[in-house]
Amino acid sequence: MDLAPVLDGFAVVLEPTNLLYCLIGVTVGMLVGVLPGLGPAATIAILLPITIGIEPVTAIIMLAGIFYGAQYGGTITSVLLKLPGEASSVVTVFDGHALARQGRAGTALGIAAIGSFVGGTISIVALSFLAPVVASFALDFGPPEYTALALLGILLVSTISSGSRLKALVAAAVGLLLATVGRDAFTGGERFTFGNLNLADGLDFVPIAMGLFGLGEILYNLEERHTAAQAPTKVANVWPSREDLRQSSGAIGRGSVLGFVLGILPGGGATLASLAAYAVEKRRSKTPERFGKGAVEGVAGPETANNAAATSSFIPLLTLGIPANATMAVIFGALLVIGVSPGPQLVTQEPELFWGVINSMYIGNILLLIMSIPLVGVFVKILRVRPAILAPITVLITLIGVYTVNNSVFDIVLGIVFGVLGYLMKKLGFDPGPLLLAFVLGVLLEESLRRSLLIFDGNAAQFFTRPISGTLLVVFLIVALLPLVQGALSRRRPAAERSDTTKELV
Amino acid sequence: MTVLVGYVPTPEGDAAFSAALQEARRRSEPLVVLNSPPGGAPVSVAVAPENAVRRMTERAEADGVALDLRQAAHAGDAADEVLRVAQEVDASVIVIGLRKRSAVGKLLMGSVAQRILLDADRPVLAVKP
Amino acid sequence: MTSAHDGANSPEGPGGSTAAGASRQGDDDVTRSTTAVEPPSSLHDLEEAVHQLEHDAEHRPPPAGRTTNLVVATLVTALGAAALVGSLSLGAGSARTPGSGTWPLVLSLLLIGLGVGLAVTARSTTDAERFSRSSLLVLVGLATMVGFVALIGTIGFEIPAALLAFVWLRFLGGEGWRLSVLISLGLVAAFYLIFVAALSVPIPHLF
Repeated sequence: MDLAPVLDGFAVVLEPTNLLYCLIGVTVGMLVGVLPGLGPAATIAILLPITIGIEPVTAIIMLAGIFYGAQYGGTITSVLLKLPGEASSVVTVFDGHALARQGRAGTALGIAAIGSFVGGTISIVALSFLAPVVASFALDFGPPEYTALALLGILLVSTISSGSRLKALVAAAVGLLLATVGRDAFTGGERFTFGNLNLADGLDFVPIAMGLFGLGEILYNLEERHTAAQAPTKVANVWPSREDLRQSSGAIGRGSVLGFVLGILPGGGATLASLAAYAVEKRRSKTPERFGKGAVEGVAGPETANNAAATSSFIPLLTLGIPANATMAVIFGALLVIGVSPGPQLVTQEPELFWGVINSMYIGNILLLIMSIPLVGVFVKILRVRPAILAPITVLITLIGVYTVNNSVFDIVLGIVFGVLGYLMKKLGFDPGPLLLAFVLGVLLEESLRRSLLIFDGNAAQFFTRPISGTLLVVFLIVALLPLVQGALSRRRPAAERSDTTKELV
Repeated sequence: MTVLVGYVPTPEGDAAFSAALQEARRRSEPLVVLNSPPGGAPVSVAVAPENAVRRMTERAEADGVALDLRQAAHAGDAADEVLRVAQEVDASVIVIGLRKRSAVGKLLMGSVAQRILLDADRPVLAVKP
Repeated sequence: MTSAHDGANSPEGPGGSTAAGASRQGDDDVTRSTTAVEPPSSLHDLEEAVHQLEHDAEHRPPPAGRTTNLVVATLVTALGAAALVGSLSLGAGSARTPGSGTWPLVLSLLLIGLGVGLAVTARSTTDAERFSRSSLLVLVGLATMVGFVALIGTIGFEIPAALLAFVWLRFLGGEGWRLSVLISLGLVAAFYLIFVAALSVPIPHLF
């Protein structure tokens, strides 16, 4: 492997500006993880306007920091307050909070921080080896491959994450439709613009993302009846014992691998990884009855896995140009706005950006490890801020921010419209993630599809004659049809009711 | 008929609790402790921590007073909440703790105690630590 | 919401699939008490426990009834139908010669199909929330945003922003009068300093 670009990447990371933005990113990420309300996807969307004025590599370093930083932050509230700050930290509540009740909050937090650091770092190393390989492999991809890949990606995100697959697919379909608004790349004709000049060039990504994720979530949170407040807790023992570390080492190792693998999978991501890691730890433990009562593996496994997954979920985006989850879709959009086209050529054409971002994650993880334990007290203080005060601040940042992108009031209107849509979607059980993901992939998908059809002269069966697109499409069909088959089979047996869906996944 | 005390984990609050406990004993009425943080935040300094709650419970038990602790958050004005709960539990007296507020403090934050004193429709017992 | 999964008969619900690794047999008997959260072992039960925990932590309105679900399904189908009309007018094309309307046609057919699917499952859908009095808060919040964007062109951002912040703090957030006014003014001042003074963003401003 050619090490020169990797080392150059480190040189990029160590530039003071990039270090600063990395610090800002991970700090904001931790804050976002701690504070209930906004998630990393919403925060990244709201901060998109910032990325326009700065260097591309700096922008992505910051946005990435927000994402994996949030995985660290969510742990704090899970352990101390039994309040999951992030969807991927929910599982940590079971054993983490139990440990806190036993006066061992510091142990839980320390194990979580160490596990997160190890998981994240191992994932970055693996990513460094895997990503260039995948990218070079994908350079041979043609329109049929991209069609299949985009279809599969959208389907997986709609399927694996949310409970109501039907609704997620609706969201994805709407997203794809929205992508058609504007000028048709092939014929030059206008589609669905209703004569409005602002729509002639298509819908702008940034206002949609900011409205859908940012304003939508804020509006949605207005209806939340507030949780009971708790007195500020003091964290006593700040460091886990050697025994704890020894006990957790296996869980950390397994969590890293599991998280890395699940993160690459579109739709998988940090939340699924944390769940799977917990299940694995409990299953393989010789004393499973300890789980739920303060088993350190129950904290180490999920926390390691969610960080590993958050890191590896960058792979499909940076190597194939396919976002693996909603947050990656926002970062995809950010890349387009900054003028970088994600895809297999990114490694070779923009090595400084590619390796700069990846190597920044090492630094980011180190910063987070350093910050997460001493600053716990600070974060608990921050939790005293009432959400009612944060809400209008976030609204105004979003509204004014969306204006600054194009100095256009129409963008604010668009943002508000999508804010309403985002609210309605979340309220009615539709995950907005697939919509944005499908929107960003929509142009690619349609183009690839039409090109493929032109190549195949209209014969769609030819998709299966090419090995890669064929395989991907077979997987697509399996994933698409599997639940129908399962549904038919399970109707033979008495079924228990499936409960509500998770509203936010990444 | 109950005795209502507005409690925060401060010296003023503790003084108010002690006075309220005495009152409840004297009147042979149950004691309602209102420890309501301003709404929303997951963590609030206004919430009585576990050891304070335990102490209050033990003292009430020792004195033979029935204790009703309310820690639900409130939206809006703290004074309004006290008066509302006073109405709800049919308080025969409201006990509050007083502390000195600087002129600027009064301007910015107002005085909850003052509002309770002026707007209450039942006796108010104001104590100092 | 407690669920007891007995033996090996726990079915796979639609969309409840897992990725690599973890097995999902419900061979561990799991019953959850309504007060304590007990972590179950199979991935499926784990997901349920997670949903329950999030649900308890968030205090959202209750699930919507069948009518709401049917309305949603109808809207989705209607959207699909509208897109269908639109794509036909653009020219449906064919597989051999895809036109402007081909892809939108496919999508609109998909939407219609999904809408029908939603209508069919409307009775058993529980993941939508009921619209309740708290939804009025959202309406007020939305109104402030609309007011903001309506006024910003004419009188600059300062006053609409201050009003928005005040409404959100006082009426939507339940904060006191004084605090609301102070924070609103402070916010606008901060935004002014950052966006107008420091960054020179050409946002319409009055002062």
